[in-house]
Amino acid sequence: MSNRTIATLAALLAISVTPVAAGPDDNSLTIAIGEELPGYDGYISTSRDGVVMTRHLFDMLIFRDPETFDYEPLLATSWTRIDDLTWEFTLRDGVTFHDGSVFDADDVVWTLKTYADPETGARSQASVSWIDRVEAVDALTVRVISKTPFPSALEFISGSLPIYPSDYAQDVGLQEFAQAPIGTGPYQFVPGDSNSFTLQAYDGYFEGGGKGTPSIETLNVRVIPDTATRIAEVIGGEIEWVWNVPSDQIAQLDSLPSVTAELGSTMRIAMIAMDAAGRANSESPLMNPMVRQAVNHAIDRDTIVSALVGGDGEVVNVPCYPLQFGCDTQAATVYDYDPDLARSLLAEAGYADGFTVRMASFRDRSRAEAVQSYLGEVGITVDLEMLQARASFSAWREGEIDMWYGDWGSFSIADASASTGNFFNGGTNDGAQDAEVIDLVAAAAMTVDEGERQAIYSDAISRISEAAYWVPMHTIVMGYAYDSTLNFTPSIDELPRFFSASWGE
Amino acid sequence: MAGFLLRRLALAVFVIVTISLITFVLSHVAVDPAAGVAGDSATDEDIAAIRVLYGFDQPLITQYFSYVTNVLQGDLGRSYLSGEQVSDLIRERVPATALLACLSIVFALLLAVPLGVLAALRPNSALDRFALTLAVVGQAVPNFWAGLLLILLFGVNLGWLPISGSETLAHFVLPAITLGSFAMPALMRLVRAGMIDVLEADYIRTARAMGLPEQTVLFKYALRNAVLPVISLTAVQFGFMLGGSIVVESVFAIQGIGYLAWQSMSRADMPVIQAIVLLISLAYIVLTLLADLLNAALDPRIRVTR
Repeated sequence: MSNRTIATLAALLAISVTPVAAGPDDNSLTIAIGEELPGYDGYISTSRDGVVMTRHLFDMLIFRDPETFDYEPLLATSWTRIDDLTWEFTLRDGVTFHDGSVFDADDVVWTLKTYADPETGARSQASVSWIDRVEAVDALTVRVISKTPFPSALEFISGSLPIYPSDYAQDVGLQEFAQAPIGTGPYQFVPGDSNSFTLQAYDGYFEGGGKGTPSIETLNVRVIPDTATRIAEVIGGEIEWVWNVPSDQIAQLDSLPSVTAELGSTMRIAMIAMDAAGRANSESPLMNPMVRQAVNHAIDRDTIVSALVGGDGEVVNVPCYPLQFGCDTQAATVYDYDPDLARSLLAEAGYADGFTVRMASFRDRSRAEAVQSYLGEVGITVDLEMLQARASFSAWREGEIDMWYGDWGSFSIADASASTGNFFNGGTNDGAQDAEVIDLVAAAAMTVDEGERQAIYSDAISRISEAAYWVPMHTIVMGYAYDSTLNFTPSIDELPRFFSASWGE
Repeated sequence: MAGFLLRRLALAVFVIVTISLITFVLSHVAVDPAAGVAGDSATDEDIAAIRVLYGFDQPLITQYFSYVTNVLQGDLGRSYLSGEQVSDLIRERVPATALLACLSIVFALLLAVPLGVLAALRPNSALDRFALTLAVVGQAVPNFWAGLLLILLFGVNLGWLPISGSETLAHFVLPAITLGSFAMPALMRLVRAGMIDVLEADYIRTARAMGLPEQTVLFKYALRNAVLPVISLTAVQFGFMLGGSIVVESVFAIQGIGYLAWQSMSRADMPVIQAIVLLISLAYIVLTLLADLLNAALDPRIRVTR
C-alpha cells in the first residue's frame, strides 16, 4: 500500500469521526429506534415507533393530555355529542398542511371515510370499523356517526385517527403517501435512506393546540437494531435518546454523568392468561376454577415486582390498567400469596400430586422462570417456552398452550374496552369463553351512559377475577436513556413526545 | 469445457427452482402470513381482512404459480409491509452488504494466507501455536460478542472509529474485522495443512535440489498447489457473506441484505424473503462455478479429467 493510499484512508477515517455540531449546539436531537419503519401512514404502520412518528407528523382532531388524560383542542377546537351515534367537531381555522395547503372539513371526511372502508386495509380495523358515516356540515364543521352507540369514540379519535391532506394523498396515492407523508403536525418529514430520516419543526404550525409549539428544531432518527449498540452510541454521545433499555442496565447507565437513565411506568399490563376453556387440552386441570385460584395464590407477585420489574412497576389485580375508564379495582377479588392455601386448593380439586402445563412467554425470561419456580413449589410443573413476541401471542390465540405470560398495551387507549374488552369478548384472545362475561363486555361496548357503563365493567371484572381466569401480574416499565441536558418526561402511554422536549442546563 | 458449463447451468436452474419451491411452501405453512402482516396487536377481524386482501385464502399451488409467473416476467412483487417494489428494496441494500463482504474476505485472506504459510514453514513453532490459537479464538468467539468488544474499545473508549451506521468507509472497518475474523480460521488452517502436505512432496524436494531460490519454490510451486482447496472455500465463505450477516449487520446497524432478511422474516414479509433466498442461492451458484473454473485454470489435471 502506497503512502498516498494510507494518507487517503487516514483522512477518510479522520473526517468520519470528527464530531459534527449536534444536540444543544444546533438545537437538534438524534434518537435511535430498533426497527426500520415500513412507511409513515399511521393507519398502516402500527409498530410502536411508527405510532410515535405519526404523532409528530400528523394531528388528530383532539389531543389527550398524557398526564391527566383530559381531552384538549387540537385540529378541532370544540366537540359535542349530538345523539348516541353522532359527535360534531368544530375545526380550527387557518391550519395549513406542510405543503401549504389549507386544512378543512373535506380532509377529515376523506381521511376517515377512506380508512373506514375495509378495502383500504387499515391494519387496526378496531380503530375505524365503528365509523358509519362522516359528513361535512360546512367547511369547518364535521360530524362523525358511528354504526352503533360507541362510547370510546373520542379515545380512538384522539389516539388513532390522524388527518391527511385529501388532495395530496389522492394525487400521489396512499402507497406513495406513506413514503412521503404530509400532515399538519409539529414536524415535517425530510426523507433519508433506509438507515435514517429527519423530522424538521414546521414553521407554520398553529398555536394554541394541545401539543404546543416544538422547541427542538431538528429530530434525526437513526435505525440501530441491536440494543447493546444503541446503548453504546448513547454512552459515546452520538445518539441522544433511546428507549427499550433493559431494566438491569438502567442504574449503571444513570451513573454516567452525561446520561440520564430511568424506568418509566406504562399502561402496559402483564398477565398470565389460563386456558379455562380447554382450548389446548379438553381435560385441562385449568378448567377447574379452584385450580386457577390455586395458581393465583401460588405466585408471589410482590417479590417479582420488587426484584424483577423495578422502577415504578406495580402489582395489578384487575384485567385492565387501573387508570382506564371502567377499570374498577374495587370490584376485583384479590389473591394473596399463600402457597399452603394453593396446595390445599389443588388437593381439594383432586390434583394433590400436581400436573404439568405448557406456558409460553416472551418479554423477560427471569420473570417467567420465577413463575415457573413458584408453581413448581406447589406441585405444578411448568414447561416454559420463551418465544418471540408474535409467536408466543399466536400460540395463545391459536389455543396451543395452557398458559401465556404475556402483556398488553391497550393501543394506549384509556378505556377498559381496549383491555378487558379485548381479552374477554369471545374472540381468539379470550381463553375463558365465559358467556356471561362476553355479554357484559358486549353491553359495555354499546352503552353510552358513563355510570351504567362503569357498573357493567365492574360486574365483568368481579366475575373475571372471581373465576380467576387470569393471574393479573404487574405493570410493565419502559427503560429510557438520554442526554442529561435534555428535558424529557416519559409518559405512561408509551408515546414519547419530542415536541414537548427541549435542551436545558 | 462447453459441456461442463452446460451441465452446471442446468443443475443451477434445478437448484434454484427447488429452493424457491421449498422456501415458498415452508414460509406459507410454518406461519400465518396474514397474522405476520397484521402485526402484534391485530384483532381476529384485522387478520381475516388481510387474508382476503392479499390472497392468502387462495390454494397454495395457485399462489405459487402466480408468484413464479411474476418472477419470470421480472416482477419480484411488492413488500407486504412498505408496499415498495422488492427489487428496489434489494437494490438499495446490496451495496452495503457487498462492500462489507469484500472488505471482510480481503481482511480474512490477508491474515489467513501469510499466517498459514508461515505456520506451515515451521510446524509446532511458537508462531504456529500463535496462529492456531488465533484460529480457535476467531472461530469460538461469537460475532455479536466480538463486535461489541470492538465497539467498546475502538468506538466508546478510544473514540477512533464510528460505532454504527454505514455512511463512510470508516463505518465498515469494525464490521469487516468482526465478520472477517470469523471466516479467517478455516482459511488459515486450510492454507497451513495444504502447505505442509505440498512441502513434503517429491517435486518440491526436486525443486530445492535444483537450487531454485526458496521464494520461487514457496510461491511458484508450493503455494499454487496448496491454494486450490482454499479457492473453493473462499468462494463458499464469500457467498455466505454476500447473503448478508444478520448478526454483524444488526450489531453495526448496516442496512444490508442480512438485516433486511431478518426483518422480513420476523414480519412474514414473504415477497422479500423469497427474493433474498433467490439472490443468495444465485450468489452461491455463481461463486462456486467461478471457483471451479478458476481451479481448472490453475490445475490442468482438473481440465483433463473433465
